[in-house]
Amino acid sequence: MRITWRGAELRLLLPILAAVPLGFAITNIALTNTLDPGPLQLAIGFVALFGAAHVALVFFGHRGDQLILPAAGAMGGLGLIMLNRLPQDLAGTSAFGIQLGMAETQLLWFAVGLVIMVGVAVGLRDDGVLRHYKYSWAAIGIGLLAATLLLGYEVNGARLWIDLGPVSVQPGEPLKIVLVIFIAAYLAETRTLLTSASVRIGPVHIPPLPYFLPMLVLFGAVMLIVVRLNDLGTALLFFGTFLTMLFVATGRRSYVLIGLLLFIAGAFVAYRLFGHVQDRVDVWWDPFADPLGRGFQPVRALYALGRGGLFGEGLGQGLVTLGTGLTIPYVHTDFIFTAIAEELGLLGAFALLGFAVVFVFRGLRIAALARDDFGALLAVGLTASLGLQTLIIIGGNTKLIPLTGITLPFVSYGGSSVVASFAMIGLLLSISHRSATGSDTGQTSS
Amino acid sequence: MIATNVRRLALYLMVAFAGVSASLVWWQVVEAPQLATRGDNPEVLAARRTLLRGTIFDASGQVLASSALVNGLSVRTYADTAFTHVIGYASHRFGTTGVEAAFEDLLVGQTDPNPLRDLIRDVLDRQPQPRDLTLTIDRRLQDFAAAQLGGNPGAVVALDPISGEVLAMVSTPTFDATPISGDPDQAQGPMDALRGDAAEPLLPRARQGQYVPGSILKVLTTAAALDAGVITPETTFPDQPQQEVDGFVVDGFTIREHDLGSVQPALWALSEALQVSSNIYFAHVGLELGGDIFLEYARRFGFCDSLEVGPANRALGVVASYLTSPVEAECGPFEGDVQLASTGFGQGDAVVTPVQMALLASAIAGGGVMPHPYVVSDVRAHSETGERSETVIDSFGSRGGTRVISTETAAATRAAMVDAVNGDLGRLFAGQADVTLYGISGGDLAAGKTGTAQLGGGGAPHSWFIGFAPGQEGATPEIAVAVLVERGGSGSGLAAPIGGRIMAEWLRLNEEG
Repeated sequence: MRITWRGAELRLLLPILAAVPLGFAITNIALTNTLDPGPLQLAIGFVALFGAAHVALVFFGHRGDQLILPAAGAMGGLGLIMLNRLPQDLAGTSAFGIQLGMAETQLLWFAVGLVIMVGVAVGLRDDGVLRHYKYSWAAIGIGLLAATLLLGYEVNGARLWIDLGPVSVQPGEPLKIVLVIFIAAYLAETRTLLTSASVRIGPVHIPPLPYFLPMLVLFGAVMLIVVRLNDLGTALLFFGTFLTMLFVATGRRSYVLIGLLLFIAGAFVAYRLFGHVQDRVDVWWDPFADPLGRGFQPVRALYALGRGGLFGEGLGQGLVTLGTGLTIPYVHTDFIFTAIAEELGLLGAFALLGFAVVFVFRGLRIAALARDDFGALLAVGLTASLGLQTLIIIGGNTKLIPLTGITLPFVSYGGSSVVASFAMIGLLLSISHRSATGSDTGQTSS
Repeated sequence: MIATNVRRLALYLMVAFAGVSASLVWWQVVEAPQLATRGDNPEVLAARRTLLRGTIFDASGQVLASSALVNGLSVRTYADTAFTHVIGYASHRFGTTGVEAAFEDLLVGQTDPNPLRDLIRDVLDRQPQPRDLTLTIDRRLQDFAAAQLGGNPGAVVALDPISGEVLAMVSTPTFDATPISGDPDQAQGPMDALRGDAAEPLLPRARQGQYVPGSILKVLTTAAALDAGVITPETTFPDQPQQEVDGFVVDGFTIREHDLGSVQPALWALSEALQVSSNIYFAHVGLELGGDIFLEYARRFGFCDSLEVGPANRALGVVASYLTSPVEAECGPFEGDVQLASTGFGQGDAVVTPVQMALLASAIAGGGVMPHPYVVSDVRAHSETGERSETVIDSFGSRGGTRVISTETAAATRAAMVDAVNGDLGRLFAGQADVTLYGISGGDLAAGKTGTAQLGGGGAPHSWFIGFAPGQEGATPEIAVAVLVERGGSGSGLAAPIGGRIMAEWLRLNEEG
């Protein structure tokens, strides 16, 4: 193991590590109207964590992508500034006699996430453990879902949470990862068969069903359970990720088309069957029909976007509460993007989107440069999962598509989401590292 | 191969991100100004909690709506529930409606009618200057009309047929808007009760109610057919007397006459046909007229599109009336002769609003010129005392009218409508609208037409009357009216006497000055 300088990463991290504490200070000055940067523990914690992650990667001689961590850091930093700014009684942790605010709790999860990220990035020198035990991963996934079904409790009509003493866990988040691993492994093995053995009817390629069967059965089971748990945002995300990976593996647009048709049919059935899906779609179609009832949340969010305008109200100066209530319910999870767009304006929102785009394109670059099919498909799956999640929730915020209750990766409040997202970066970095070194053992090549 | 597919995927994802970016631009740049001034905008609602609104007066200077600051909260009080569906409400919880919404900026005293920023700066930096409004409606007539409807669900719209001033606009059942216009935390209960009420008190029936017209639509058929030269007042249909007995078969469907009571069928010309409200006669007229021309005239009178009471950006909205099946703001062509003939006498698929019917009556009364209706006559400096200020800042006069039919057509239609109330046959059907029954002497006569709108299925028909007075030749009409009583039975029994009394009351009030 040899120290490898990661100059680009350092140069990109430095301004972020300077800007985020500045953001805390500006927020505090705006909120208190005094020239006081406020308590420093968040700023120090944020700088220390990302600095340490960078140093650790350098120390372990990691040669993987250098843009992904800064992109995630920038998104996480923006989210942290906003979580620190929002009313602190929305959420937070109180366990073992310690009271932590939202931002502090989130920072704690950043710490856990970054440790896992570094561990996976430098520890996973061989992807055999991922590739060869694909059915074990699938089994773990099914186990996670079964646990949710049996032990989960309900929040807002969706049963997504398992209570583990001091913390609650959303099994959907780790499930996302093991599912991507399984699909990548399966597709890497069968992709030639899937492409060559297809039956052609006119211009449409029909996939050869026997080869698809194990994957479809498993995937169908997962989707069914997810829908049963009323978590349609996650179902949409899984399905989108699956179709994306299938497209990259086979290059067949017709497969994606068939998948999309299936999805539309499924969505229609869900619309007819589930009252809360119908509600969501109706509210999405015309939130202004009942602006103070069912449309309250989306309408208030659109007003917040409008208030933000081009340049934003400024940090700490948005209209988060009004009278005695929040202007947007669930602003810290479902609508954190809207809160940022209100205070930092279209320009700030574009910056956040820009970070996500950088992230996605680096992820795809890692896929394109991967040494083997499995690595490439895994990188595509991880990137697509995070990218689609970003698109789905932001699209929901701006009324482009119906709102679903999934998180904005790195930004929304929530431990499971943060840890899973950083673990996914860890996987991406390890793939990238292997293609950079040209070996499975981590030797540096010259 | 995978690398190629990844590159294609990158392109697709780029398109998706571009789409999301575009939606952001839409809300944050394109739609932002409109969002900022919407009545249900939480910021607007919050800023207005402390703003005193101007007073709204009736035409004679009586206070109808006034505001006071109670513990820093602007609380609105409404004096007369007969005006609720005109004035609307200004709620801190539910936004604004009616005149309160149309004149929002003036009532709260924004210097610039548009941007919200201006409003907020007003609150912070200087005392805003609320303005007071005067309605065209005299409270005496409004209350009189509301009392005439009594407990019945329905609507009355009365217009000055020449100027377009709204003289009365009542929708029943009504409600007291005061409880929902005070403390926002106390407003939810009363609003929930109103929303849950099966009688639909929140519906402004005069403007937003769409009803089957029945025989009042024969006035439109008459005006259109005369103006198009398809009939003259002397036109008769030779087969008609026999069809009165046997029915009139159109495309295999038999159109039957309504119950004429003691009246014997005869070869009727226009006046007699309108007096007895002959379905067979007007079915013939509809067929002679043809669907396209019929629709063309309906459009001229304002059908097929939403209408406005007031100048364009300060108007109360009126939903569209339709001659054929309602297709989004457009009247499709007639489906066949059965529908055309039925529409000729006011059944078929036509639906109309009371405002539209009052405009139809006004156009006949006004010699073929249909006025532009309006309900606010001036804007004045705010008065703290309850006495209306003498300082008029802006006034809204008549905006003239639109010629829809010729003077000759209007005169002939008018003569037939005078006969329909006062003629030997008409007296049997619409005689209760005769203003002389209600103390009007000096030769003034009412013109009008009743309607009994069959609704299909069981239940009582809608009771309608439209008319104007004075209607005799040479006199200048002072009031045109449309009266609707939902499920009120025959037009002659309920709506006609209500219409007659309202017209008589207005003539009397005008006389007194």
